[in-house]
Amino acid sequence: MRSLMINHIQNARQSLRSNRLRSYLTMLGVTIGVASVTVILSLSGGASQVVSSQVDALGGNIAVIRPEAAQKNTVPNLTQITSQRDFSASTLTEHDLKLIKAIQHVDQAAPLMVLGGAIKGEKLAPANSTIVATTPELATISKLVVADGQFLSDDINQNTVVIGDQLSINVFGTDRSLGRALTIRGQPFTIVGILKRLNNPINYNAVDFDNSVIINYESGKQLGQITPQIQQIDVRSDSVNNLGQAIIDINKVLSTSHNGENDFTVLSGSQIAQPTSQLFFAMAGVTTAIAAISLLVGGIGIMNIMLVSVAERTREIGIRKALGANNQDIMSQFMIESMAIGLGGGITGYLVGYLISYGICSFLPFEPVITWQIAATAAFISVVMGTVFGIYPALRAAHKDPIESLREYS
Amino acid sequence: MRLSDSGRHIIIYIKTMPDTQTPVIELRSLKKRFGIGDAEHYALDGVDLRIERGEFVAVMGPSGCGKTTLLNIIGLLDRSTDGDYKLDGIEVSTISAHRQARIRSHQIGFIFQSFNLISRLNVIENVALPLTYKGITRTKRLIAASKILRTFHLEEREYYMPHQLSGGQTQRVAIARALVNEPSIILADEPTGNLDSRSSHVIMEELSDLHRRGNTIIMVTHNPRLTSYASRVITMLDGRIDSDTNTLIDEIKAPISEAAAPAHSPKKHKKTKGHHSKSRYRIHIGRRKK
Repeated sequence: MRSLMINHIQNARQSLRSNRLRSYLTMLGVTIGVASVTVILSLSGGASQVVSSQVDALGGNIAVIRPEAAQKNTVPNLTQITSQRDFSASTLTEHDLKLIKAIQHVDQAAPLMVLGGAIKGEKLAPANSTIVATTPELATISKLVVADGQFLSDDINQNTVVIGDQLSINVFGTDRSLGRALTIRGQPFTIVGILKRLNNPINYNAVDFDNSVIINYESGKQLGQITPQIQQIDVRSDSVNNLGQAIIDINKVLSTSHNGENDFTVLSGSQIAQPTSQLFFAMAGVTTAIAAISLLVGGIGIMNIMLVSVAERTREIGIRKALGANNQDIMSQFMIESMAIGLGGGITGYLVGYLISYGICSFLPFEPVITWQIAATAAFISVVMGTVFGIYPALRAAHKDPIESLREYS
Repeated sequence: MRLSDSGRHIIIYIKTMPDTQTPVIELRSLKKRFGIGDAEHYALDGVDLRIERGEFVAVMGPSGCGKTTLLNIIGLLDRSTDGDYKLDGIEVSTISAHRQARIRSHQIGFIFQSFNLISRLNVIENVALPLTYKGITRTKRLIAASKILRTFHLEEREYYMPHQLSGGQTQRVAIARALVNEPSIILADEPTGNLDSRSSHVIMEELSDLHRRGNTIIMVTHNPRLTSYASRVITMLDGRIDSDTNTLIDEIKAPISEAAAPAHSPKKHKKTKGHHSKSRYRIHIGRRKK
């Protein structure tokens, strides 16, 4: 039986070879579908890996507190930090921050308040620039390094600002803007420090520090908001081992302070490592749609070509039956052919997908991931496509009447 | 008689049969209908036929008399509408389609008028094709195909494509393919129909050689000359058997039966043809296998 299967495979290879161009064109549909799937998976894997590696690089003792309960589905999770645009008041308060700071194993805690408003230096800053109000602790927690000047400090003037490298170039045309003045929401600020370029717009703070200004927490409060809108509190425990205890304590303390309402989330480690870029999410959505459509079209292509091939080889089927092939033999031959098309398309799709991923990633701050799961998914999709769309033509071939088939001209 | 490969095959088969006297093919009032209603038409309208092991039967008759249909039914490619068909004593209608394919693969060899080689396969692959469905590995298949091609003097054409061969060569390839799986029954549908007389002669030599080695051959033909190679001639008319040399013999059994027994080679037939020109068909009762 085993050698019979090998014989079928040889048969299928024979007939695929005799129609080389057609086989390759049919594979193309599957290739595009599988390539899109590979791109989605490798990029999303890469994006979450980049955040988790950041968390690891920070020493593994970072926790993040976000308003609202833990999200059930991933879609809001992806866009969570932008809750300021949801026009809802954050559930995190200054009182919470004080309580957290008082917890035993919490070494440092920094609130993150992302504000909207115009930044103006010599020119108006681009729309994607962010205003972040925070306390000086953020520098140690998120390991922000200043290239020039100093970070925010409690003992210097309130209206000081630390500017991102790229934003400085955007606004002043140079990254040497130390000591110059800019206005945020019409208020004058003095630049006391310029951040070293980070080049990671995707991070657990969901702030691209290269493109933002960091102002004092108190200044942020004064910028027209009566209640401070804390979107996130970054917490650093005194050691990695104590992070777990610290999180438990934070949960306890906040729960009491929020009257038992579970309207906050404490995230640590890989939980933070969710891709947070909205752009990325949109891209993934579009690619998923492309993948689904091209897989469907590719599948129909396989079926179409197999039907043509069955019609074309009717006489051959008749001959084979007269020479002793039974229905299963004919069926196997055509099934193997369509599966080979599927698998061939899948393998090229996997390779092309990675080529595209690496191409895209040369513009992005992370690398695509290579895991066996992605390879298995690609293989699975392609084999399933070959099987599902090959069954009907193969059945048709198998049930052809030998006499009728022999009468057919070829 | 020296046992050829095909002969061995038959003997193995006979061992499994309870009765060695069972005819290979036994048809009783076999009918095949095409179309329904007004278009109803019986291609076979009650055929009764017994073919014994080792016979060389030539089937003659005008176009549309049901010769090819009969051959297709005997070869298990088609099913009869009515009547009994016993192959080696087993009623065919009780055999599953899967098993029928096995019988086609192991016992029956087809030779077609239009050769029916697969055009995108070369000669040796075409010849090796029937072995594919016996589950024989590629190397062994090609060795067997090469061996049989050598007996047909086609060893230099192994890697030619079918369209590069002459008609006679193509038919020899087709015969080689029909024989490669060592069938006991060979069904030939006008094997020389598309060939000139010289090529026809070569093909017929091959067939009668197979017959001498103990194979059962059923050949449909239009050409009365070719019946001289056969041991029995059947004429069909309108889906019925019109005449059969065997029944003829039965009627005049006593005088001829033993006298005509000595085995003739077809070459001898040719030489002696003149003497028998009075009778339209050469009558051969000699059964080589005792």
